[in-house]
Amino acid sequence: MIVGDLPRQELAERLAGPGLRVRTGPVVSRIRSRLSRVMEGVALHYADYALEPDEGFADFSVGVASPASPRRWIRPQVEFQFDGVRPFLPLPADQAFALLEWGLNWCVSNHCHQYLIVHGAAVEKSGLALLLPGPPGSGKSTLCAGLVSRGWRLLCDELTLLDLATGSVVPLPRPISLKNESIDVIRRFAPGATINTPVHDTVKGSVAHMKAPTASVRRGAEPARPRWVVLPRFERGATASLAERSRARTFMHLADNAFNYDIHGRRGFEVLEDLIAGSECFECMFGVLEDAVAALDGLARRS
Amino acid sequence: MSPSSAPRWRCVASDAISLREWDGEFVVRNERTGSTHLLGSLAGGVLKVLLKADSAASTERIATQLSDAAEETTPLSLRGAIDEVLSEFKRLGLAEPQDR
Repeated sequence: MIVGDLPRQELAERLAGPGLRVRTGPVVSRIRSRLSRVMEGVALHYADYALEPDEGFADFSVGVASPASPRRWIRPQVEFQFDGVRPFLPLPADQAFALLEWGLNWCVSNHCHQYLIVHGAAVEKSGLALLLPGPPGSGKSTLCAGLVSRGWRLLCDELTLLDLATGSVVPLPRPISLKNESIDVIRRFAPGATINTPVHDTVKGSVAHMKAPTASVRRGAEPARPRWVVLPRFERGATASLAERSRARTFMHLADNAFNYDIHGRRGFEVLEDLIAGSECFECMFGVLEDAVAALDGLARRS
Repeated sequence: MSPSSAPRWRCVASDAISLREWDGEFVVRNERTGSTHLLGSLAGGVLKVLLKADSAASTERIATQLSDAAEETTPLSLRGAIDEVLSEFKRLGLAEPQDR
C-alpha cells in the first residue's frame, strides 16, 4: 500500500494521530502533524511512497506543529519535532512542509551513520550513478531536477548515501528542493513536473519542492554503482562545458562535503578511494540547463 | 648544516598511513590524527620514500631517491623544497625527525 491509496480524510487522521509511517529508500519515518500545509505537502509529494505497518519500526519519529505561544494568533510559526526534542528555531507557518523536508534531511545526516553521507545529489542511468556534489548555489538540485526530467533515475537530491560494504549509492529518493530562479527554470524545462507553491523569505530565499518521479520512488531499493562525479558550477550566460577534474582534488571535495567522513575513519577513506578510482571526474559549467543535461547525457551514451 | 648533523626523518608508523596517487597528486590519511590531506607530486614522492625506507632518511637521501638515479648530486633547490615538505609533515604528524 502506498500513501496515495489513503483517502484524504484517513491521511489527515493518521498524521494527526498515530503518525504516518513512510518508507523513503532505506529509511522509515513516522510523520505526525495536524497542520494542513504538511498534510497537503505529504499528499502531493509522498503519494507514491510505501506505507509501513502502524506497529512497525520507524527510524525517525518526527512532527511539525504550532508552538503553544501567543504568537500563534499574530504571526503563526511552526516547529520541527524529533523524538520529543526541537532541534531548530520555529519558522513562519507557511514554511511548514519545507521545514519537514529540512528536518528529515537533518535526521538522516545526523543519524544514518551506517552510510558514508556526502552532501549532494545523485542520479542513475543503466545502473550507473552520477554524483553531483556541491555547495548551495552550485546548481546541483537544478541539474538533478533537469536530469530526472529527461530519463535519469533520481537517487537523491541532498544526501548521497554510500554503502560502506559495497561503495554503491543507496537511493534516498525524496522531493527535490528548488530555490529562487531554479523554480521557474524547472517549470519551463519540465512543464509536466509536479512542483508545489513556493514559499518566500526562507533562509534559503524562495523554496519549492519538485515531486520525485514515480519510477524513481518505486526503484528506491535498487542501489547504483558510482561511475561519474560531476561538480556543477552554474554561471549565468556560460556555455555548457565538461572539463576533466583532478581525481585527488575530487576525492578531497567529496571528503570535505561528507557529513560523517571522520566518523568512518579508514573505511571512509577506502570507500572514497574506490569511488574515485572507478569514476570519471568532471566539472560541469553551465548557464543553460538544456545544454548541461545534453552534455551529461553524452557521458552516459559514451559508457 | 653539515650532512652529518642534518636530521634524519622517519614516517609515523606505516600502518597509520593510507596513501593513494592519481596522476601525480596524492591523498593521504593519517590514522593517528584522523586527518586527510591533499599532497602535490613532491610531497607525495617524499612520503613514498619515507614509507619505503627501512631506516630514517636524510634530506640528501630522499633527494637522491627522488632525482634521477644517475645524477651524482641533487640541486640545492630540491633539497630546500624537501626540507619544507618535511617541516610540514612534522606539523601534520606524518613524519618526525629521529632522535640522534
